Amino acid sequence: MSTNPWLATGNYFTSYKQEQATFHTHLDRSVFTLFLFLLFAWPVFFPMGNKYMLVIDNILIAIVAVMGLNLVTGFAGLISIGHAAFVGIGAYTVASFCRIMGDSHIFVTHFWPVLIIMAGLMGALFGGIVGLPALRLKHLYLAIATLSFQMIFQWVINFMSFFNQGQTIFVGRVTWFTGTVGRKDHYLFWYYVILIFVVLLGFGIRNLLKTKYGRSLVAVRDNDRAADAMGIHPGLTKVYAFALAGFFAGVAGALHAYLYRGVGFESFTLHESISYLAMAIVGGLGTLNGSFWGPVAIKLLDLNVEQLAELAGRYLPSSMNLATALRPFTFGLVIVLFLMFEPRGIANWWRIVKSYTKLWPFRY
Amino acid sequence: MKNKRCLSLTGLILIMFFTFTPSVNAEGKIHKLGMSLAITGPTSDAGNPYSKGVEDYFRFVNETRVLGDDKIECMIRDDQYKTDVTKRNFEEYLDKGIVMYLNYSTGSTLGLKRDFEEEQIAVLPASYHAGNLDDSNYIFLPVASYSEQLVALSEYVVKNHKGGKAKVAMFIHPSAFGRGPVEDAQKAIKAGLNMEIVEVVEHGKNLDNSAMLKRLSNKGVQYVLCHTVQSPVSTMLKDSTRLGMTAKSYGEKGKLTFLGVHYTGGNDLIALAGDASEGFFWTCSFNLTSEPGKGTDKQLALAKRYGRDNKAANSHNYAAGIMVAQVVTEAIKRTKAKGFEVNKKNLYKEMNAMNGNYAYQPYTTIGPVTYSDTDRAGVDMLQIYSVQDGTFKKVGTPIQSEYMKKIE
Repeated sequence: MSTNPWLATGNYFTSYKQEQATFHTHLDRSVFTLFLFLLFAWPVFFPMGNKYMLVIDNILIAIVAVMGLNLVTGFAGLISIGHAAFVGIGAYTVASFCRIMGDSHIFVTHFWPVLIIMAGLMGALFGGIVGLPALRLKHLYLAIATLSFQMIFQWVINFMSFFNQGQTIFVGRVTWFTGTVGRKDHYLFWYYVILIFVVLLGFGIRNLLKTKYGRSLVAVRDNDRAADAMGIHPGLTKVYAFALAGFFAGVAGALHAYLYRGVGFESFTLHESISYLAMAIVGGLGTLNGSFWGPVAIKLLDLNVEQLAELAGRYLPSSMNLATALRPFTFGLVIVLFLMFEPRGIANWWRIVKSYTKLWPFRY
Repeated sequence: MKNKRCLSLTGLILIMFFTFTPSVNAEGKIHKLGMSLAITGPTSDAGNPYSKGVEDYFRFVNETRVLGDDKIECMIRDDQYKTDVTKRNFEEYLDKGIVMYLNYSTGSTLGLKRDFEEEQIAVLPASYHAGNLDDSNYIFLPVASYSEQLVALSEYVVKNHKGGKAKVAMFIHPSAFGRGPVEDAQKAIKAGLNMEIVEVVEHGKNLDNSAMLKRLSNKGVQYVLCHTVQSPVSTMLKDSTRLGMTAKSYGEKGKLTFLGVHYTGGNDLIALAGDASEGFFWTCSFNLTSEPGKGTDKQLALAKRYGRDNKAANSHNYAAGIMVAQVVTEAIKRTKAKGFEVNKKNLYKEMNAMNGNYAYQPYTTIGPVTYSDTDRAGVDMLQIYSVQDGTFKKVGTPIQSEYMKKIE
């Protein structure tokens, strides 16, 4: 190790263990700890209205979902355009318990962490099943297979009376050690819950990528025949990538159900699947931090364009309905621009910033 | 020197005072309202004029001092027909201290029902879905529910049908919005309505309905009752006309007579279907500008005052927007007149008291608005209109469903 453990400059790795460390310098560790502390502490010092807390909670849920998508599409190279359906599986797992037991049943209101994990497992199960075609299909054909799952999901939810034909199925208020979480604290409470999931799952992926299971995902993405030759089972790896993505999506869905205190079909449509894909692309496919940047960028862009479209809708001629086109147009434009000029996503900008600070105090 | 310093200090204090003191309407109060609806995205063709109606009427109220020195501040936000966005808008309005809320879609009204209950805030949606009222105390439908409209149309079919049992098909939207009223029509049949529902068709995004129309005709269907939005109805009407299957007069044997509930009709349908819309029957609780009267004159004057184009001015959705704004204004006016504070609780009470001698008659509707603890549908009367020479004309006098009372 270098003589100065705070700086990366002059720091040479002498073992694989050192290279695999989560934090390479004390500075990295300190900055991250401070950042984490600020994430937990800021709502105490700067309380926000429910509207903005809801926006932030939503971004965090999208981060959980996109982490899963990044595993299957970014790290394993398997295109999935049915990710919202997996999120929906998680949400409807919670909704199913509400339908069967009642939305105020103790299992729903008191054992919600268990239910969230169960929703994740259900997502993993469906992910594994949908991943089976990956044993035979590749590229566009696999994408179509995931699209068909999205369609089947939409059809089932929209027509089955058990799922209230897509209309909202209510989820009861949860209970914490301090009692029932009421309206006043609802969004703040879920902010902390979702944040804990984001941190745990984020570390989970970070550590996974250090293991042979994580590396096998990348190996299969780069060349599945070569991976096979090295003793990695490509088929199993692909199925397990889908299952893992399904788990993340399922957890995100359950969190969504509890946050909105209800599950409705329209939050899990094909449009949402495309949005998740856009978040992964804009954030940076195949990078962990890209899963954080993408949802933040797309959700905030969406919020701003939404306000612009609303304003435009008031002044543009209603017969042409140009304002409606503004959102999809901006959305599409951002993806195209990123694909053309920064295919590695925002994560690459972060890498550049980080590599500059690594060299500090030297210029090169 | 000392005086100069003192003067500067006083000046500074005055500047600080005027800069940082929040501007208040010194004479009157500001009553905050919120509205979330689809100005863009699906169904924005209805949402756009609806929002203009609300906006214009509240501007009119403020400018003409309908509430004296008090003013109404109605925040209007686009939700793109998405429940998630509606919820966000609703939370924002609550943060800003609204006293009443105006909502739009069926999905979001059902989805936010619990929030309305918890907040104990009166809500007027643009959705007339009967399911909105289940397990709800705070939702007030502006007019008769879709169910009541469909049952009333069914009764009209039965009353005017010559021969045995009337054979009908239902052409509905593939959602809870579309499906809900069918169940009530089936209940009415069980309760004795002499009609047979031969088939319930949930339309997709078909661009051609020839096969479906032929099938219905082969099954002996004479009437098609629609409960969806204008676009699929216009496609079906055009196909029927092309195939020569549309009845030239009401109930013509061997042909199809088309009838529809609130969101199937209006000027947008005529614009979409053209001549094929001739003879289409439609229920609506609003006065239409194609049947001029005092109410429609006021509606057109309001649109003119705020520079709205002809399309918006003549839209029944514009009238519907004005109507909900009128009801809210009236509730605030009555609360004030009784000397109570205008807040969520008192407005809710005032809404429930809007019946009997205190029923409210807006100029936009064909009947009075009545609400009580047990009655949550505002205008109970329905007017049947039909397209004649390119405009909707009244058919008979306003009606009310008889069977709806039996099955409720």
